[in-house]
Amino acid sequence: MTEQIPFDNQATDNFLEKADSLGLDNARLVEMLKTMLRIRLFEEKANELYALGKVHGTMHLSAGQEATAVGTGFAVRKGDYLINHHRGHGHFIASGADLEKMMAEFLGKDTGYCRGRGGSMHIADVTSNNLGANGIVGGSLQLAVGVGLAAKMRKEDRIVLTLFGDGASNEGIFHESLNMAKIYDLPILYICENNQYGMSASVNRVSARTPFKYRAEAYNIPGYYVDGNDVLAVYEFAKRGAEHARGGQGPFFIEFATYRYFGHSKSDRNLYRSKEEIDSWRTHRDPIIRFEGNLKDAGVIAGEEAKVMEQEVVKEIDAAVKFAEESPEPDVATLEDFVYA
Amino acid sequence: MPIPFIMPKMDMDQESVTITEWLKQEGELITKGEPVIVVETDKLTSEIEAPATGTLASILYHEHEEAPVTQVVAYILAEGETIADLPAPEKPEEVEAKAAETPAQQASAPVQLQVSPIAQKLAADLKVDLNQLGITDRKITRADIEAFAAAAKEKPPRPSATPAARFTARENKLDLSGISGSGPGGRVQLADVKAAQAAATSQPAVDLKPAAVLPAVKPGEIKPFTGTRKRIAERLTQSYQDVPHIYLTVHVDMSALSALRQRANADKTRDSVSMTAFLVKLLALTLARHPYLNATLSERGVELLGEYNIGVATALEEGLIVPVIHHADQLPIRTINAQLRELSAKARNGSLVRQEVDGGTFTISNLGMLGISEFTAIINPPQSAILAVGAIERRVVAAADDEIEIKPMMSITLGCDHRVVDGAVAAAFLRDLKTVLEEPSLALL
Amino acid sequence: MPEITYREAIHDAMVEEMRRDPSVFLIGEDIGTYGGAFGVSQGMLEEFGPERVVETPIAELGITGAAAGAAMVGMRPIAEMMFSDFVLLAMEALANQAAKARFMFGGKATVPMVLRLPGGSGTGAAAQHSQSLESLLIHIPGIKVVMPSTPYDAKGLLISAIRDQNPVCFVEHKLLYKSKGEVPEGEYTIPIGVGEIKRPGTDLTVVSTGIMLHRCLSVADRLAQEGLEVEVLDPRTLRPLDTEMITASVKKTGKLLVVHEAVKTGGWAGEVIASVSESDAFNYLDAPMRRLAGKDVPIPYNRLLEEAAVPQEADIEAEMRALLTNQY
Repeated sequence: MTEQIPFDNQATDNFLEKADSLGLDNARLVEMLKTMLRIRLFEEKANELYALGKVHGTMHLSAGQEATAVGTGFAVRKGDYLINHHRGHGHFIASGADLEKMMAEFLGKDTGYCRGRGGSMHIADVTSNNLGANGIVGGSLQLAVGVGLAAKMRKEDRIVLTLFGDGASNEGIFHESLNMAKIYDLPILYICENNQYGMSASVNRVSARTPFKYRAEAYNIPGYYVDGNDVLAVYEFAKRGAEHARGGQGPFFIEFATYRYFGHSKSDRNLYRSKEEIDSWRTHRDPIIRFEGNLKDAGVIAGEEAKVMEQEVVKEIDAAVKFAEESPEPDVATLEDFVYA
Repeated sequence: MPIPFIMPKMDMDQESVTITEWLKQEGELITKGEPVIVVETDKLTSEIEAPATGTLASILYHEHEEAPVTQVVAYILAEGETIADLPAPEKPEEVEAKAAETPAQQASAPVQLQVSPIAQKLAADLKVDLNQLGITDRKITRADIEAFAAAAKEKPPRPSATPAARFTARENKLDLSGISGSGPGGRVQLADVKAAQAAATSQPAVDLKPAAVLPAVKPGEIKPFTGTRKRIAERLTQSYQDVPHIYLTVHVDMSALSALRQRANADKTRDSVSMTAFLVKLLALTLARHPYLNATLSERGVELLGEYNIGVATALEEGLIVPVIHHADQLPIRTINAQLRELSAKARNGSLVRQEVDGGTFTISNLGMLGISEFTAIINPPQSAILAVGAIERRVVAAADDEIEIKPMMSITLGCDHRVVDGAVAAAFLRDLKTVLEEPSLALL
Repeated sequence: MPEITYREAIHDAMVEEMRRDPSVFLIGEDIGTYGGAFGVSQGMLEEFGPERVVETPIAELGITGAAAGAAMVGMRPIAEMMFSDFVLLAMEALANQAAKARFMFGGKATVPMVLRLPGGSGTGAAAQHSQSLESLLIHIPGIKVVMPSTPYDAKGLLISAIRDQNPVCFVEHKLLYKSKGEVPEGEYTIPIGVGEIKRPGTDLTVVSTGIMLHRCLSVADRLAQEGLEVEVLDPRTLRPLDTEMITASVKKTGKLLVVHEAVKTGGWAGEVIASVSESDAFNYLDAPMRRLAGKDVPIPYNRLLEEAAVPQEADIEAEMRALLTNQY
């Protein structure tokens, strides 16, 4: 199992000391927790709306992976490029998404980020350098090289946060992308979000050697294997990788070990893993419970603060749902718009 | 027994009629002689009268369907009779259930078709060959027969033509089936249509007066090509294709006949006699001497008709109509004249009755009043000849003494069916006709 | 006007655009010192340096995906597939990413990239290096497909393609690289989606482009000596197609022949014919609309077989004569 291989990060024992060394003040730590809650509750609400038939098609929920999203999202700068994978709700929210536009897109409304054309799997905000979630496994890896080339050619102070999973790491483009990124020394931060399964395929069953950081090393790219449910650890390595890439030293690769609670998509009946396994992750390694506990233990939050925070987030989400539900459907007459510029 | 209502045949070469309207519905009482069906034939709209008194039942051909003549189109029930008395049982499901009870019997005859009785009856009525349905794996039902009959009634296969040929023919009201194609497999090309169009430029003008204003033409406007116009086209096309026409022309000195007519019309108290009336009479008399010009070719042979019923082609806006002067050989010219006037008026207001257009044995087409010097006409089937009459014009002619004279001349062109009439026979007829036209008194002999 | 080759025309268009606009760059295999497999990019590395003449590993998906990514953030990449056949390795990036990004993101992205695709047979390169895949490409909404047949068109269309806001597949014919034609110096553009009547005529409309256009023109010239006037149209762009030009011509001539090198089944000729069939030109048709296209076989190696696999002048002449004389 992947877990048997030691993480490259130190376990977060002395929480406050570590936060301090990472330059995270209390307000920032609280904001991180709140963002994780926002992701979790947003997805739970989306799941509810799906059950009511309001969300069309399918959805790829990322519950359980919030630490990876928030840790990386908080480690990069505004203006950095984000190329997302299909399970990208969390990353998008961590990058500061407008929940109303996001929920409207889930409901396929004209006010959504993609005016109802993309849906939950293709949310993008190109004007703010968010190049979208990609429905093709490995899609982000293709685009990253070009974005990196552009950033380098234009001598921009921007890096390319490139998200993909364990599944994409077995696509051919993984190798083309890493190789090209290294030969041109492009400012790409490769984040492999290893949630243990590519749909039903257990990562160890379908990968000749894990962790994937070895593959990065094969392309002469620094690669690390990190506990993806420890938000501070995620933040620490993402920050290091961002600095590396921004500093002109070329690409940087981090594999975050994490776990998704829901099935791959809405059709998944979890036949390939046990309930015990899921419960074990939920109970012992849940990133939110863990981080909230850390904050409480360290006295950053106290008493009912977490509850209050949660209520605030619920209000935000309810407002987003209201906005989405009241928004108009796209006009069918505009169907053929946006095929060509 | 219920009385079959048979669609009467109303004309010699008629095979079917189109039912325009049923004036009575199933279950209504009809009285013998009362109009029940309105039908359209290639000539006219007619009313078909009830052949008997009783209740109308089991209509087999509905409105807008084509019904074959001499066939049953419905039944008439006498008092006390019901549809159950019809030749076959009415309730198909009962019958089918009954038929299904005897599978062993049917299985014993290997190729015997399973047919519900009502389907059997309908097939017989509609002359549908049950074997042609190709249904062997289940019972043939009434719906199968109806579908097959409907499909069979579809128009004959369209002539092969390119879209451009089709479009141009349609625009110019040309019948593609009358145009021989130069493309692969006889496909009609655009060039073929253009050639046909050039050949058939002279559509008869109805009004000789120059138009005071230009007719309003909407570019691309499609004029319907249906009804009478279409039927005329079909008949003429068929005639033109099937009948080998020969044409002979003579030029007739009309001095004497014109003078006679002038004298006749000097009496202003009476209707003036038209030149056509003289023509009809003299023609009928001449025909009596030349029976082959007054004949019909059929499968049985050449039928010499023995009656001299002269049709006079009359141009209407919606197409040609040919009212008939029956027994013209026996009528005084003034009677003929009066009939012509009446028929012409009726033709124009659409009140001609069937008897007035039926039974023609020979047709005259006169475009003289429109200033046409001479022309050829297509035989009006099933007749075997037609006379195209040009205008009386003052023409320079050579007199007997080689002097040049100016005389009222008229050219007439005889078109005849070469299968029935040989050139010499036609020439003899024309010679005689010319003789009586030039010297009308000879007709007394 | 100076005469230059098709290859030089493409080269000049790229060089001029790269001088004019710093966001334009070239990416592909062996495009640097080697000058490109067909020599189209000769001298460009020297002028623009390795940052703008990006030589890549043999990684067509990587190249095309990189072009799409760069285009999405405002660059104008020109990606070269060494042979058009290799676009099949890159279809994911082209069809799933570049073609769809704008639509999928609700009109908020543009992907202004050019994918240059040297295609066609006649070089003895056999099945995997000789295909004409343009018909495959026109099936994908979101990309444009351009296929120039002359040096003049190649330069004007490539400049337009580079400046276009959409992914443009630019299909070059390998046999045309050496062909010469008059090309003015300096910049000019030919609008994408606008065809050209290469030879006016009255008796038959022939639609063709690429190498086939030249074969059609040569046959048309011969037939003109017999008084048969063939109108030869070059759509120049296959998607969007200049159906207006084609239907207008068919209305005049009543007959249509489409000649292309791509295999017949699913070929773009069918698209041309269908569009005429649906148009008001239908009523002017005086013969079946016909296709003369590549045989439904992979391109063979043997010279005789290779020639037999795609339309040659004799085939074109026979087909034109058949239609002209109604012996089709």
